[in-house]
Amino acid sequence: MVINGRTYDDEVEDRTLLSDFIRHQAGLTGTHVGCEHGVCGACTVQLDGEPVRSCLMLAVQADGRSLRTVEGLAGPDGELSVLQRAFTEHHALQCGFCTAGFLMTADALLRRRETGSISEAEIREELAGNLCRCTGYEGIVAAVRTAAQSPRH
Amino acid sequence: MTTRLVGAPLTRREDARVLRGETRYVDDIVIPGAAQAAFVRSPHASAAIQSIAVPEPSEADGLLAVITGRELAGLRSFPVMEPRGAHVAAGEAHPVLPVDEVRYAGQPVAAVIARTRALAEDAAELVEVEYEARPAVLSPRASDLTLMRWSQRTGDVDAAFAAAAHVVTGRYALPRLVAAPMEARGAIARYDADADGLTVWCSAQDIHRSRAQLSHILGRDEGTIHLIVPDVGGAFGSKGVVAPEVAAIAAAAIRLGVPVRWTEDRLENLVGAYQGRGIEGDVALALAADGRMLALRARLWADLGGYLLTTTPIPPHTAATLITGVYDIPAADVEVTGARTHKVPTGPYRGAGRPDAAYMIERLVDRAARELDLDRIELRRRNLIRRFPHRTPTGLEYDSGDYERCLDLALELAGPDQPSRPLGADVARGTGFAMYVERAGGGFESARIQLRPGGRFLIDSSSSPHGQGHDITFAQIAAERLQTAPGAIELRFGDSASAPGGVGTFGSRSVAQAGSAVARAADAMVGEGARLAAHLLGLEAGAVRLTPAGFLGDGAALSWAEIADSAAAPDGHPPGGAPGPLQASARFESANVFSSGVHAAEVDIDPETGQLSVRRLVAVDDAGTLINPLLAHGQVIGGVVQALGECLVEEAVYDDDGQMRSGSFLDYSLLTAAEIPPIITGEVETPTPLNPLGAKGAGEGGAVGALPAVANAVTDALGGRHVEPPYTADKLWRALHGADDRPAVPEERR
Repeated sequence: MVINGRTYDDEVEDRTLLSDFIRHQAGLTGTHVGCEHGVCGACTVQLDGEPVRSCLMLAVQADGRSLRTVEGLAGPDGELSVLQRAFTEHHALQCGFCTAGFLMTADALLRRRETGSISEAEIREELAGNLCRCTGYEGIVAAVRTAAQSPRH
Repeated sequence: MTTRLVGAPLTRREDARVLRGETRYVDDIVIPGAAQAAFVRSPHASAAIQSIAVPEPSEADGLLAVITGRELAGLRSFPVMEPRGAHVAAGEAHPVLPVDEVRYAGQPVAAVIARTRALAEDAAELVEVEYEARPAVLSPRASDLTLMRWSQRTGDVDAAFAAAAHVVTGRYALPRLVAAPMEARGAIARYDADADGLTVWCSAQDIHRSRAQLSHILGRDEGTIHLIVPDVGGAFGSKGVVAPEVAAIAAAAIRLGVPVRWTEDRLENLVGAYQGRGIEGDVALALAADGRMLALRARLWADLGGYLLTTTPIPPHTAATLITGVYDIPAADVEVTGARTHKVPTGPYRGAGRPDAAYMIERLVDRAARELDLDRIELRRRNLIRRFPHRTPTGLEYDSGDYERCLDLALELAGPDQPSRPLGADVARGTGFAMYVERAGGGFESARIQLRPGGRFLIDSSSSPHGQGHDITFAQIAAERLQTAPGAIELRFGDSASAPGGVGTFGSRSVAQAGSAVARAADAMVGEGARLAAHLLGLEAGAVRLTPAGFLGDGAALSWAEIADSAAAPDGHPPGGAPGPLQASARFESANVFSSGVHAAEVDIDPETGQLSVRRLVAVDDAGTLINPLLAHGQVIGGVVQALGECLVEEAVYDDDGQMRSGSFLDYSLLTAAEIPPIITGEVETPTPLNPLGAKGAGEGGAVGALPAVANAVTDALGGRHVEPPYTADKLWRALHGADDRPAVPEERR
């Protein structure tokens, strides 16, 4: 499979979860595993552009597909994206464990809605598949609003 | 000109690393050759272990060992803290692995060590344990086994009750809760036999307590344990005691000579990690005809679970000592009994006794206002503590506060009181206010600071973060005193090889204790710098002063960079001075400081469905001087939302056999972004006189005040009927329609 533009060619057990492949075989540990039963969203990655829970997929299901993880969000020169910068400005992360999942969900939302504003209620609904225990979501919602109001690319 | 950094809302510096995915949580750390542990857990809440049959180690199956309680017979059980004046049954401490009985479903019984996690889980299924199930005791009041007791009687309580114009009573209960940090627990243990050194990377709140607990359990000197706390994905109190599983893998790493990793999964965390709250009580207040509070009686029962972990006795003691709240009550008779039940042990969870106390006293005060037909705000005003320090009848000394200012600000932010509509209207609306006082700070922490080339500083703090933002906060504290930029200051945390002595990150104490140690160390560094600058400028030590441009004296200036260069030079120090880079260190210790606040809530209940809708929340908190208001605000909001979850959905539910029925995130719900009402915050800053910063603590207040505020609003909406949280539609509908066959007691009448 291709992750963040790089090809990973490896053998997996049939029972290996995609999340475990990403973390332990591809070595991309920025994607975190919070519940392994598809509720918390910490393991969210983008599969062919769509946010998915990598703990609910087997690695073999992603064979030949294109994935994007949190390590692929910054620009080629390493510059943080508008969304990433907004997370710091709005104190949208405390312990940081859920952050990668929120970034991948929010980034997909911003890409899907290339133009126009997104209401706070809509942002909250879109983010309701990701759990954060630290922030109370205020900073995360504010960060996504800020990013939505900025030029996207 | 002095640079003001204290009070500046600076953003964090560790974020960029997290945002790029360059994290180092314990499961992100690669240790070549590390084996993995899986645990066999008790399916029974209470049972005798009759036999354990284990598979033989097998190279083909990648199975290295199965370790049971018998193999670990040489280990000690957990050390147990004894709150001042409390009786604690230390013989009931949690063992690493049990030998002949289990006392909660989910208790680890055997550690299975294999080459991979999947192989370890496969082999765990081959372990056969024969149990003889026993009846489970689940209610603390039904238990005849006391694990902890504390009581205090101050003043003539009986006389006060006998003479009182009014006596108001209430019976209250809070369910067990799960801390549920997004990163569950985990650790890696590696043993170096040649050096007899054990290295443990642990997802923990601090290095100090984790190391002390492992030292006690393993029976090895602290000096032989290198404890590293890497990035930690939240704790909320639940990582202040190492898991029994961590002690087990440490023992396994020593026995097997291979590094061993344990990564807890969510289902294990929900059933096996120590839980919070689980307390109930009967509380009575004696009042004079004018509403003055004369005396309080409280009998509390805490559901402590099957064993004592290190901090299990602390939250019930905290609840009991804070039970008089913000009120000037001269006499009190308070007793708390921590009972053994067949559930996972309890321990600190955000608030750790503080919300319990605030919930009981604030519900009772609202009830008193109803019964005395007094305005609930006015009744509070008549009884507020106004002089500090204030000694409570439970033995605490409140250092500072301005409770009335918090109350006035909360009233202003809440807006005009909207009268509750009568039942039967299209919606039942209620408003509620609650006040709280929070024990924060206390104990010691330390810091060491070193001047480095280019005028940069390295600070080793004894405290370590798990999301709070120690780094920029401490940099602000030090930079202001050193008259430099925060960017010149690097903080280092969480490694016992470099950290100075301390206690840990819990109880809203990091800024007050560890921040004050940083301030004192920075002050000492300024003294060292001035001494050297005076020497270099040929002046008396008192003739130089520090400015943003450096040390000034007699028209000359020396920057920190120049001081650093001189300190490195062989002859750079005055005679008798130690050569090498300038260093300073400080240890700071103080009594507890007391944060406080007033929260308000406005709620609607749909009479058709019983559905509760929290329309908005107001949170006014006084955490003393705020170092970084951006991060303090984050703490308040995060705490308020945890309290809101406690009000709306969170409850660790057990069936009659002691099986946890909320053992997944589908059953134990956490609130999502779509369920949060507007939260209006206000700050009052009453500095404490007990530390150089004036800072108290902001970590728990949000979680303390919002619970009783919502509870009072719900009771208001129900016309005085009391229901215990979580306020599910089922309970509220029954309360509204008088269909209570359960505890929704109509205890309040006008």
